[in-house]
Amino acid sequence: MNFSVVTSQFWALCLQGVALGLIYSLISLGYTMVYGVLRLINFANSEVFMVGTFSILFIQVSVLGHAVNVDPIHGIQLLGALLLSLVGAMLVCALLAMLVELVAYRRLRAHGTNRLASLISAIGTSIFLSESFRIFTHSRPQTSPRLLEKWTFGEIAGANFRIDTVMAIVASIAIFFALDQFVNRSRLGAAIRAVSMSEENSRLMGINLNRVVTLTFAIGGLTTGAAAFFYTTIYENTQFNVGFNLGIAAFTAAVLGGIGNLRGAFYGGLALGLLEQFASAILGSQWKAVTVFLVLVLVLLIKPSGIFGEAVQQTRT
Amino acid sequence: MNKNSKHVLAVVAASALALGTVVTSQASAAPKEVTIMFQGPLTGGDAQLGQDQLPGAIFAIAEYNATNPKVKIKLEKADSQCDGTVAANIAPGVAANKKVIGVIGTSCSGEARNSFPSYIAAGLTMVSPSATAVGLTDPKAPDRGYPIFHRVLANDKFQAPALVKVGAKGVTSPKFYIVDDLTTYGAGLALYAMPAAKKAGTIVGTDSVTKGTADYSSVSTKVKASGANVVLYAGYTQDGAKFVKSLRDSGYTGVFAAGDGVNTSDLPGLTGKAGEGLRLVAPDVPFDLLVTKEKLAAFTKATGVKVPGLYVTSTYDAANVFIACIKKGKLTRAGIQSCVAQGTFDGVSGAKIKFDRYGDIIGGAPVGEFVVKGDKIDYVGIA
Amino acid sequence: MINIRDKGAEIWETWNRPKRVAFVLISIFFAGLLPFAADWGPTSFLNTPITSFQNVLVYPVGMFILMALGLNIVVGKSGLLDLGYVAFFAIGAYSQAILSTKFGWSTWEVLPVGIVIAMFSGMLLGLPALRLRGDYLAIITLGFGEIVRIIALNSKGTGGPNGVAGIPNPPAVFGFKFDLMHPEHYFWLVLGMILLVVWMIRRFTVRRPGRAWEAIRQDEDVAALMGVNTLVYKLWSFVIGAAVGGAAGVLYASKVMVISPDMFKFDVSVLILACVVFGGIGNIWGVILGAGILAYLPDRIRFISDARQVIFGLVLIIMMNLRPDGLLPRKKREKITEKSKK
Repeated sequence: MNFSVVTSQFWALCLQGVALGLIYSLISLGYTMVYGVLRLINFANSEVFMVGTFSILFIQVSVLGHAVNVDPIHGIQLLGALLLSLVGAMLVCALLAMLVELVAYRRLRAHGTNRLASLISAIGTSIFLSESFRIFTHSRPQTSPRLLEKWTFGEIAGANFRIDTVMAIVASIAIFFALDQFVNRSRLGAAIRAVSMSEENSRLMGINLNRVVTLTFAIGGLTTGAAAFFYTTIYENTQFNVGFNLGIAAFTAAVLGGIGNLRGAFYGGLALGLLEQFASAILGSQWKAVTVFLVLVLVLLIKPSGIFGEAVQQTRT
Repeated sequence: MNKNSKHVLAVVAASALALGTVVTSQASAAPKEVTIMFQGPLTGGDAQLGQDQLPGAIFAIAEYNATNPKVKIKLEKADSQCDGTVAANIAPGVAANKKVIGVIGTSCSGEARNSFPSYIAAGLTMVSPSATAVGLTDPKAPDRGYPIFHRVLANDKFQAPALVKVGAKGVTSPKFYIVDDLTTYGAGLALYAMPAAKKAGTIVGTDSVTKGTADYSSVSTKVKASGANVVLYAGYTQDGAKFVKSLRDSGYTGVFAAGDGVNTSDLPGLTGKAGEGLRLVAPDVPFDLLVTKEKLAAFTKATGVKVPGLYVTSTYDAANVFIACIKKGKLTRAGIQSCVAQGTFDGVSGAKIKFDRYGDIIGGAPVGEFVVKGDKIDYVGIA
Repeated sequence: MINIRDKGAEIWETWNRPKRVAFVLISIFFAGLLPFAADWGPTSFLNTPITSFQNVLVYPVGMFILMALGLNIVVGKSGLLDLGYVAFFAIGAYSQAILSTKFGWSTWEVLPVGIVIAMFSGMLLGLPALRLRGDYLAIITLGFGEIVRIIALNSKGTGGPNGVAGIPNPPAVFGFKFDLMHPEHYFWLVLGMILLVVWMIRRFTVRRPGRAWEAIRQDEDVAALMGVNTLVYKLWSFVIGAAVGGAAGVLYASKVMVISPDMFKFDVSVLILACVVFGGIGNIWGVILGAGILAYLPDRIRFISDARQVIFGLVLIIMMNLRPDGLLPRKKREKITEKSKK
């Protein structure tokens, strides 16, 4: 037990927790959007994230031609490179997520068969993707070039407001805000909400189910791609198995917040990020995961469908 | 014919078909050839370690076979992925393969422990180029590899103090922060570093961060808060790189020193500028510093590797231990076992290799000091 | 798609008792001969390169079948998604490891105790977790599996990351030695366990618990309304599943002699779940077939070392798309009710 770190580094831990938590939130949207509509755990989302990180590597190294040990670039060139990486990763992930839906879910869904079959085919997709990248990279970890010089806005109460952290936080919140508006205001968003309330009724209302499903996968992919971008800018590394731990964390975040719920994913990710930081600071990093799961169990016991989840009566099983 | 018997017939026919597709079993062993197995990670997250080592074995055996000996040696590979679970499955298979008379390996300590039961039962000798966990040769440990396990390098009991020494070099009143990765190797190395660190300075904190963790910011914050000026890391390359990056980004300016798990040729590329000046130790002296230019050229020709990686020296030595015994005409597992246990062998560095009862080199072996400079790892000298 | 399982049942139902007994005995006899299949000409194509065939039959094949049968009680029979089944396997293995190395118990003495410990931890997990529905249960069980592993990784008593070494093999029974030189004896032991579990499941299925599980799986609310104490029966299925996992763990530890926490990772849970679904969820024979194939396949194709897992992933995707109900699906009448629920 070490509380002195918490008192002296409280705000630093908070800031890091928020940045990490928002990355979890963005990935967890890949789970939560799909779950909201299909009531399926989208197990392959972790690999969508992994492919996203590699796509950034590809864009920065192969397309833009920056060497891995390049000096940070500046100005319009930097802005262009970052934007291209972000948009590229989002598009790649969205396309991949749609492809995953087509390969792993579409046929099984048409079959109207048990949900476990889709779970296993998603797991199969996940194994396929991560193993393909393992062979492709010869199992070696990869680094992305440091294009963004990590200057800092300054330190406030021990918290270091570094550009990459600040950027991840601000942009993630913006993405969430935009998505929230989209789901709650737009026609397509209304369709998504309708399907998540009742598949059958919305079909009767003339909603094209396949289109809505593809859309949710695409949105989940977009945010997961954004997460991959922020992850790569902050940590500058990736490997074929990078998705595994982050995927489980993001899934936990989704459940913590109430799976199937957009705002739940946001707050669930934040809560998880903060929890991890403080658990590692106080108890030691080795007890991080245990603390997270114990808190999850407690939350679910008090509120069986997560912090923001719907009431149990509405949960379709 | 009624319906039922039709079904039965169909089943019988199908199974007959299945049984008919016989792959003819291999012909009996070629007359004068023995097999040596290289066991280590060739795929998986730690593949780099095994792929760096393998050329050492390939070269040694190519050299031997080029002399047109009566008995040729065939090198086979068993990929246990630096993973105990995989090793536990592979070892019985290797042990059951009667053509294999010796094992160069394993690369990781965890693999070794899970391979021991099979190899001890089969009397199959192992000479490891890089398994450094102390317990493997500890007479009192239940997981020791006696009598079949040997290693041609110093174990963590020697590496850990060297790590502390290298970390504290030039630092007045060193304050250590020791972090391990909760693997057999990392936890062991950290454990043996503690007493040495206590002697050399003070330990201001310890932490264990599971291998594969993405975010090292919380431990970096702790290191900064503790006022440490020497961080010792016991783990593997990928996590070491993430950790040192996170530390530097959080503004830590002190020393970062790590053990041989981090010391792979991938490291400078992974850390980028954050790795500059990173201090490393490894119970290894680079192969290219020990051999002549001609030999190095031959090595490159035989393996296609220009710059020998980590542990090529020890892998080459391990292979030569077996080769020396095969030259003496020991072609059975039992013969190899007694030959390796009792013989004295020539190391490439010129030092003699002779194993004690539990498999460590008598008189110990050197631990090298390295430092990251630019995109290379430079050898500094014996630590 | 033809339902092989129903065809099989059709044939089976036309047979009289002696015919059935003879069939079962002959099948067991042939299963018992499996360890020699690799050495016998016509079946030598079964041999696994690199790994030893007889050992592969014990672990992963035999053990996976055993665990898949245990998980099938939870997932298949009562419809609870358990993603942390490896926890019980780990608990069994650590019971064997600690009780034998610290207290000198033999495997036969540890076995019942290990099973009880696994059952108890199943209850401990089940009591809070089973109040939750569907996928919330999945994440809780996943967490439990990780917690068990992390505690083993961080505790002195379990040897930390080193795990426990020097676990003794089981003592010989009736002259059958259980050591590394006799993997076939181990296989027969596991085969015996499998038969025992199959027998147990069949007993349960036709009695009250089986009917209760069936009712819960089809519609928990209706089952509760009909007076089925759902929590108790869900807990039962959980605990029995845990017992089988624990037993497998005890045997596994006594076989490999060295265990460490990294043997009990999340992917084992996933793999066993894949075995259950792949073979045919809810159907014992399907589960056995699925587990047999999925456990055996990676070792059979080990020679294509790099692409091995890629192929494994592809097989999962393709098979689930072609046969969503598994290789040998459960009975039709059970399936129809499931569909009408949708």
